[in-house]
Amino acid sequence: MATPAALPPLPFNPSRVRSYVLRLPLFTRLVLLAIIVFWLLELQTVWSVVQWGSIIPEEAGFGTMYRLNTYPFIHLGFFHAFLNVLALTPLLERFEAEHGTLTAVALFIGPLSTLPGGAYILIEKFVLHRNTAVTGASVWVFLLLGSEAIRTFKSNPYFSLGPYKIPTWTSPLFACALVSILVPNTSFLGHMCAILVGYLLGLGALKVFVPPEKVLRWIEGKLNLLGRLPHYVSVDQKTYGRYGVLPTTTTGGERGTPMSFLGSSQPAVRKLRSNPHFLFVHLPHILSFICIVAGVVWLLLLPLNDYSRQTYISENALLPGQVHAYFSGSEQHVFRGYKKELEGILASQTEDGQEGRKDEFTPAYVVISALQSVLKAAGLKVATQNYEYTSSGITHQGQNVYAIIQAPRGDATEAIVLVAAWKTVDDELNLNGVSLALTLARYFKRWSLWSKDIIFLFPPDSETGTQAWIDAYHDMQPAFVQPLPLKSGALQGGLVIEYPFDHRFESLHILYDGVNGQLPNLDLFNTAVSIAGGQMGIGASLQEMWDHNDSYEMRLQTIMRGMVKQGFGYATGPHSSFMPYHIDAITLQPKGEGWQDEMALGRTVEGLCRSLNNLLEHLHQSFFFYLLMQTNRFVSIGTYLPSAMLIAGNFTIMAIALWLRTGYFQQNTGNSPVEKPKLTEEQQATPAADEREPKTNNTQDPATKNIKERQLALPLTLVVGLHLLGLLPLYIFNNISHTYYTTATYTSILANAVLPLLLAAFLTHGLTTQQSLLIKSFSLLILGLFLSTLATLNFSLSFMIGLLCAPLSFVNRIKPQTITGPLRYVLAALSLVLLNVLSPPVVLLGSCAYFGVDVESVLTQAAFGWDVWGVWTQVVVWCVWWPAWVTGAALVGFSLF
Amino acid sequence: MGVDRRKAAVFGGALALRLLLLVLFPSLPDLLTGRVEVSTPVTSFKRLQEGLFLYTRNVSPYDGGVFHQAPLLLPFFSLLPNPQLFPLPTAVFYSLIDLVNANALVTISDSGQAVSGRFYSALRKHIRWDGVSIAAWFLFNPFTVATCLGRSTGVFTTTGILYAFASATTGNSLNAMLALGFASYLSIYPALLLIPLVLLCHDRQVQGAKATPEIGLFALRHFAIFAMSIVGLLGISTVLIGDFYTLVSATYGFQLLVPDLTPNVGLWWYFFIEIFDSFREFFLGVFWLHLAAYMGGLTVRLRRQPLFVLTSLLGVFAIFKPYPSISDASLYFALLPLYRHLFPLMRYTFFAISALLYATLLGPAFYHLWIYAGSGNANFFYAITLVWSLGLSILLADTVFAALRDEWEHDNPEKRGKEAKQV
Repeated sequence: MATPAALPPLPFNPSRVRSYVLRLPLFTRLVLLAIIVFWLLELQTVWSVVQWGSIIPEEAGFGTMYRLNTYPFIHLGFFHAFLNVLALTPLLERFEAEHGTLTAVALFIGPLSTLPGGAYILIEKFVLHRNTAVTGASVWVFLLLGSEAIRTFKSNPYFSLGPYKIPTWTSPLFACALVSILVPNTSFLGHMCAILVGYLLGLGALKVFVPPEKVLRWIEGKLNLLGRLPHYVSVDQKTYGRYGVLPTTTTGGERGTPMSFLGSSQPAVRKLRSNPHFLFVHLPHILSFICIVAGVVWLLLLPLNDYSRQTYISENALLPGQVHAYFSGSEQHVFRGYKKELEGILASQTEDGQEGRKDEFTPAYVVISALQSVLKAAGLKVATQNYEYTSSGITHQGQNVYAIIQAPRGDATEAIVLVAAWKTVDDELNLNGVSLALTLARYFKRWSLWSKDIIFLFPPDSETGTQAWIDAYHDMQPAFVQPLPLKSGALQGGLVIEYPFDHRFESLHILYDGVNGQLPNLDLFNTAVSIAGGQMGIGASLQEMWDHNDSYEMRLQTIMRGMVKQGFGYATGPHSSFMPYHIDAITLQPKGEGWQDEMALGRTVEGLCRSLNNLLEHLHQSFFFYLLMQTNRFVSIGTYLPSAMLIAGNFTIMAIALWLRTGYFQQNTGNSPVEKPKLTEEQQATPAADEREPKTNNTQDPATKNIKERQLALPLTLVVGLHLLGLLPLYIFNNISHTYYTTATYTSILANAVLPLLLAAFLTHGLTTQQSLLIKSFSLLILGLFLSTLATLNFSLSFMIGLLCAPLSFVNRIKPQTITGPLRYVLAALSLVLLNVLSPPVVLLGSCAYFGVDVESVLTQAAFGWDVWGVWTQVVVWCVWWPAWVTGAALVGFSLF
Repeated sequence: MGVDRRKAAVFGGALALRLLLLVLFPSLPDLLTGRVEVSTPVTSFKRLQEGLFLYTRNVSPYDGGVFHQAPLLLPFFSLLPNPQLFPLPTAVFYSLIDLVNANALVTISDSGQAVSGRFYSALRKHIRWDGVSIAAWFLFNPFTVATCLGRSTGVFTTTGILYAFASATTGNSLNAMLALGFASYLSIYPALLLIPLVLLCHDRQVQGAKATPEIGLFALRHFAIFAMSIVGLLGISTVLIGDFYTLVSATYGFQLLVPDLTPNVGLWWYFFIEIFDSFREFFLGVFWLHLAAYMGGLTVRLRRQPLFVLTSLLGVFAIFKPYPSISDASLYFALLPLYRHLFPLMRYTFFAISALLYATLLGPAFYHLWIYAGSGNANFFYAITLVWSLGLSILLADTVFAALRDEWEHDNPEKRGKEAKQV
């Protein structure tokens, strides 16, 4: 068996550092622990440990004597604590090792902290009349340095620096001066006191404080401290050696000394380290699992106040709600007039035997011409556009009407869009919305303050119309969509108004998700919330959370709903079509029964338009990547991205581990014969053909010194081939007629069940362990690559697919050697069944059943999204998720043959 | 020997793949032509079209400051039908160029110069791929395919360089100089390959003939040939354009002074966008000096393996050129498999390739976020170009390490397979 001796050496030897840390004596450990505990205590904000325990000369009194003992343990911050710990540990360890634990306790708890502290208070308070608080273990550091310096001085009195001879006992003074120059906020006086006491200690002046050895011995013997306390250093070094055991030069190996209480966990750790099976097989699994769990937990933490933020308006030019909205009073009559007119036309349409009013409505020529005449009468330029889309055998056609108010104070280089679709997102007739938009058009036309053109768009429905219009606006329309006869400048923002009912409303529901999970700038959403809530007194809600009580559950639910919508990437309203063109847009939906009328909605829209009108440049200040959990709380990408990245990272970790495993560590070298690669052109098609010579190891027999070649051709071909094969279902599911979708789903489930088995049956002959590991490695590498890329584009989709793929990190070929007989077949069949439950079409069926929707309609919608909106969720499903899944299932399938 | 069947299969397959992609995805060439990773200001097919338009209407192609490529391309491309209406002939032409390049690679590989030259014979020379495999690796490399479909004019420089190598390795040093002259004429940087190439020619000459030509004279003669070829090509160009000064300042001046800072996969554009104008000349000098400095160092240190120096220099160019694209990387990747015998000595291949893969995927994603979605900014894309360059640098450094290690083991036979620490 090859050992992983080939791991590159580190610049320092970690095992020595570790053994040093593991050998630290008892008191040193306790001091370090106390320092860390006090530092952790300081993290909370309720009780200031520093105020409590540091030496403050003003507060010196009998009640605060404890401070003289506590101050060395307390630090001002992480770096303070860390540096002091780093400096103190070797010094204290040495002191304790030489003098014994009991002596160290007696001295350091007593005189060695009180003496310098007292000296400091005396000088600071009575000589200098100042009041500087001191704290930190640096006092001990300098004290010990001082005593060490005296010892050095005794043996080696001078350094020679050219002609000068500098006495060695001054070295701590230099150190002290240097520290007070280099490190800010250090107490020079405090350090000097410590050095002074250190000199005294070194000169033996403090011997009075050391408890007599006899007493110590007696305590030690009576309490059997040596037997009870681990890492205890005895008083009597001569009897028990420095650590209670005789020092040996070898660090490895168990010593059967009864006194050996140190490092009881040490051999276990070492055993794990030198166990390649653990390093290459178990550790990656553990790491991957931790990554997945951490990713999920991370997401669950997001709704907490500590991880989310209050929203704020970033773009100063927006000035939301700073202007008075004049849309009221007489405009209401205009609104009613328009509404009556439209109602009349619609009623006549219904009488003519056309479609019913509420459900199946398409605006006919009469309605369109009525709209046009109203807009023309208001003085706007009007144009129409015909379009026709075909998807899954269903034709969607319609006619857009739009009108432009040319900015009195602008040069037609920028524009705002107001959309009122004839049918809302929920397919209701949006009569009030359209009337309101017409009223607003007439009203806006009379204002002279617009510096951006305002475009009013009336698409026949919420799915296709805006898409056709916006495509044509940017000259990107497909063949069956007419180009626009009339255009304006670059669109700066879009607002969609809905008002499908006749009663008054209570609050505004804001839709903001765009196609493919793209989101509008958070400033637009914030402006809408702030104008509606702050200026108009209308509450706002999002993600259909009607009674959001700001609890953790509600926040999490809001995030989840947002993530599901973002992950599926479909258009949630007419505003979604604007997003791919980098135009920020939202839909405003009135909801509930309240006392807000259409005028309030109109004023809100007016306020929003005024804010957008103020913009000096495109919305760019605020966030484009966020998860909203409440109308005024969000998490930004920096906070939530790690969760998806951790999940994607788990696949990469596994891939790297498998790659290393195939090169460094073979579980059963006997089974995989060392072969030279056959020289076919596919085989060479990789520069990654890396091979490793097992690094020289004394125990290795020369036979294993042969070059171990990774056989890459089959794994690469298989993985790349499967990814290309994913194009087939992608094509099928986007191009067949909608009536076959249910059949296609069930067929694909069946195909998914059979395909891995077929692959396994074909490939199982001559497939080495190494190859199966490489297949998994490549598949997971590609999965990790795609998911981490995807996480930057569509976080939610990456997260969801990552979770669904998570088992693929852990499935393996069950080798005949490990589990024999029928048990292997049962296990393999069981895991295959479980994996099949997680296959893309089964997940689709399952989620359809959960949400209570029809598979056919979901797939029709998906194909529609692909054809019209340019949704690419399917590509991810079929070309990323599905190939990885098939590979995983095939790996399990190998165990059956 | 008749036509090698495997070679025919590989070449046919490569041609079929390119045409298939064109037929299946008719919009792909235009998409790739617009990608900054494929087309740089000095190799863009779009800009060539602009120059062509002006040229066919008897206006100087350099008017308007869009076209910056060598003028000899113009009469040539004016022979091809309009690629907007008939994309196929252009695609076939570019595919054929790729096959020609692959053929040169086969020649280089078959010469065996990569594993054993005049001074040096690699230890592991039995580990190698044959020419057809290397050609297949080049032809089926996605970067090569993308470059071919993106119709970058960089492929002509590639042809020049590869033919120069092929001629040098087969001992035809006159052709080598002419081919290098052609490549340098097209895009100035291949001129940096002159010295190692002359050394390669010299080594090959010595190997072939018994007599050793005097190196100084040899170099002088070859330099003269090289210079003559460039002067000749420039002469024809001047006849074509008329104004020598405009020609030089629009092509070589443009490449040397880097006025167009369109994003690309290299390291220059962001730096020169950020830098204050007063420092521009200084840093232009520094950057060019840096690029040129590798030539001397590598040539001296790896004197025994001139072809490896040439390969590594191509890797250096792919990283540090002012306008690099994936076509430069694909050229480097094409020559790397010649050094298959060094792969066992390389240490970071997996990580370098993972970094390159990540950069390949994240680059377009971040470019999309920056340019189209507007939700990212230039730093996103620049960060990824840094990762890309980092991946290439690791690969390059690792191959150089492997080559040095191979030499070292060659010189110290007793240390073979032993751990060695560099201090």
